[in-house]
Amino acid sequence: MPSWAEFQPYIVTGLALGGLYALSGVGLVVLYRATGVLNLAFGAVGAMGAFIAYSMVQAGDPGWVAWITCIVFGGVVTLGYGMLFGPALAGRGPLVQSISTLGLALVIFGVIDLAWPTTGGQSPSISFPTDNGGFTVVGLQVSWTQVIALALGVAITVGTGVFLRFSKLGTAMRAMANDREITATLGVPIRRVEAAAWLGCGLLAGIAGIMLADLSALDDTTLTFTVVISSLAAALIGQLRSIPVTFAAAIVIGLVHDLITPITQISNYQDMTPFVLAAIALLVMSRGQVMTRSREEG
Amino acid sequence: MNRPFHGRTRTAAAVVAAVALGVLAGCSSSSSTSSTSASTSAPASSAASSPAASSSSASAGTVSTSACGTKPGVAATGTPINIGAINTKQPGTDFSDIENMAGAYFACVNANGGINGHPIKFFPETEQTNPSQIAALAKQLVTTDHVVGMMGNSSIIECSVDAAYWKSVGIDVLGAGIDPECYSTPNTASVNMGPRYSSDGAVQYVLAQGANKIAFDQSNVPGTTYIAAGPNAVAKAKGVSIQDYTENVPITSANAIATKLVTAAGPSGAVVLNFTPPEALLILQAAQKLNLEDRVKYWACSTPCNTDFLATSLGPKWNGKLFVNAELTPLDGNTSPTAQLFDAILKQYGSDVSGGVGSFSEMGFTIAEIGTHALESITGPYTIAAVSAALEKVSDYNTGMLCQGYTYGSYSEHIPNNMDYTVTPDNGKFVEASTGGGCTLISASDPQIAAYRAIAGTAPMAG
Repeated sequence: MPSWAEFQPYIVTGLALGGLYALSGVGLVVLYRATGVLNLAFGAVGAMGAFIAYSMVQAGDPGWVAWITCIVFGGVVTLGYGMLFGPALAGRGPLVQSISTLGLALVIFGVIDLAWPTTGGQSPSISFPTDNGGFTVVGLQVSWTQVIALALGVAITVGTGVFLRFSKLGTAMRAMANDREITATLGVPIRRVEAAAWLGCGLLAGIAGIMLADLSALDDTTLTFTVVISSLAAALIGQLRSIPVTFAAAIVIGLVHDLITPITQISNYQDMTPFVLAAIALLVMSRGQVMTRSREEG
Repeated sequence: MNRPFHGRTRTAAAVVAAVALGVLAGCSSSSSTSSTSASTSAPASSAASSPAASSSSASAGTVSTSACGTKPGVAATGTPINIGAINTKQPGTDFSDIENMAGAYFACVNANGGINGHPIKFFPETEQTNPSQIAALAKQLVTTDHVVGMMGNSSIIECSVDAAYWKSVGIDVLGAGIDPECYSTPNTASVNMGPRYSSDGAVQYVLAQGANKIAFDQSNVPGTTYIAAGPNAVAKAKGVSIQDYTENVPITSANAIATKLVTAAGPSGAVVLNFTPPEALLILQAAQKLNLEDRVKYWACSTPCNTDFLATSLGPKWNGKLFVNAELTPLDGNTSPTAQLFDAILKQYGSDVSGGVGSFSEMGFTIAEIGTHALESITGPYTIAAVSAALEKVSDYNTGMLCQGYTYGSYSEHIPNNMDYTVTPDNGKFVEASTGGGCTLISASDPQIAAYRAIAGTAPMAG
């Protein structure tokens, strides 16, 4: 078993990853609460945005223009999908709604493979100016990009919580989460509220895509699936409802995933982290429900 | 009343989410499998390319393509000699530049007299790591296309799938090997060293420079134990401890991996990587972002890292810090006649060679060069037996691309390329390392190398 000192460096990398998973998880939860759709295309949209940003940088465009393009791309594509298919899917069950977004993910995945083929072994990558700057804390090197990743996760979580609680649009989203039809009869423009949720989710997909392309890899498989798996697990632990729990779960998933790295006996299984943690959480939560029901019946 | 997000619906959504986790994981892991395969392959053969670098080799251009045939400018019109090849080509893993470059070379030969007046009819096939597909392709090439030789094979699993078949029909294969059977069976010989011996070379280099500890990392794919056995034997023969790691690919946590490797190697040690270029680049860039590159004495790579785009992506911080095993002659700034012929063929016939100058195209060129040399030695009919016999007679042939003369021979196993270069980044290009970068024999501390030399001897340096 590695010593505590050997684990320490992975706290930094794990927190940074966890921050981005949190950001993604919050995006998924917000969209689900407003529309009932689990957006499985979240990672793919971010991935394609990141690839577009990469191509722009290669073409000589300023980095910041490329990054913003990635975020805007995420917002536009997700909003476009939501506006086009959202109304038709609104009355369908969660299975149909979710699988339809998986279809979008696979289409985007295919487009990325076509547009950015790996022939010749070349490897696209994204770098931020903040990668090479940073500071040292108790001997641990921390880059500004890692700080930004965690800070974004925290900021998006807090901001979303405040937004949902205190803004008019947020209140409408919460109302829709409770009952879509009653909300509509009260005069809430549900199409507009849904559009806002799709747009917000897409913007977060773009942010997560560009950040993970730098911190993890500009790889379509990684960005399309790994991000969604980890953030979906966090959202599941948050019961697709609680933003603070989703945030906490995402941070734990990121931390545990990276803290396993120095344990050579199990490090090759670290990608199972989201599954294992989600399974444990679901088991514990369902056990709680069973006990509650038993007490009620008793 | 429509209550989509409450009660049973939420439970249903949770179930969907849980199922989606599994589905996505399935997609992810199947994609990983293909990338995994890529990692298996690339260590063996890749070191892909710099598409823009086609002028970097023989810019002088004084050798025209007429040098590839015996009758310059005279197209071959005789009965064709059918030659086949099988390459892996799938998303994330594309070795088809090898057969494409071999095809370009054969086209050049055909336009300049052919093989004693006979054109080479080339049948390049691609596969997607499906064993039944690969077996069917081999049979189709022999029974339908009537090929008399296989020149240009490079596949993740083709050697293991078809080795017995090639033996049964008597075909000797000349290719760029990846899996162990490409080096351990009687009917296949490669122009490259493959992942194990290339990793041997990388470890051997850092040991020669004084590294006192090795962290050896490669993709988590079938065969990693076989590959790691080589570097382990080389390090242990020098009394240096070596720690093996494997990573699931595609890599999702490069920062953590870079940190782990640097910690394991220590300040006087070396990190040695055996990955495809994209995965190796991820780890190296992560090390750079975390300012870890100077926390170890050396970084080294098996052949795949030997590609200019990697040097360009890494930047000057890695000049003289990263050392890469190179199985074939570095072409940057190379003005030898062979390099010039390579450049001329690539320009005139290589429109299908999507990666341009690089180890893939170099391997294809070298395979076709040796194959043409063997075919030209045949005086009778061009049959499977005649072509195989001609290949087996190739001995100490100077390709201009390898450190050693190339010998196919009639051996039970073939590791004809067992002498390497070492290159290091130099402002966006890879150049021969100034210290100990020249042709060096792979250590016979690797028992496989020792066994091969016991039966085939040690080929001298070319030229």
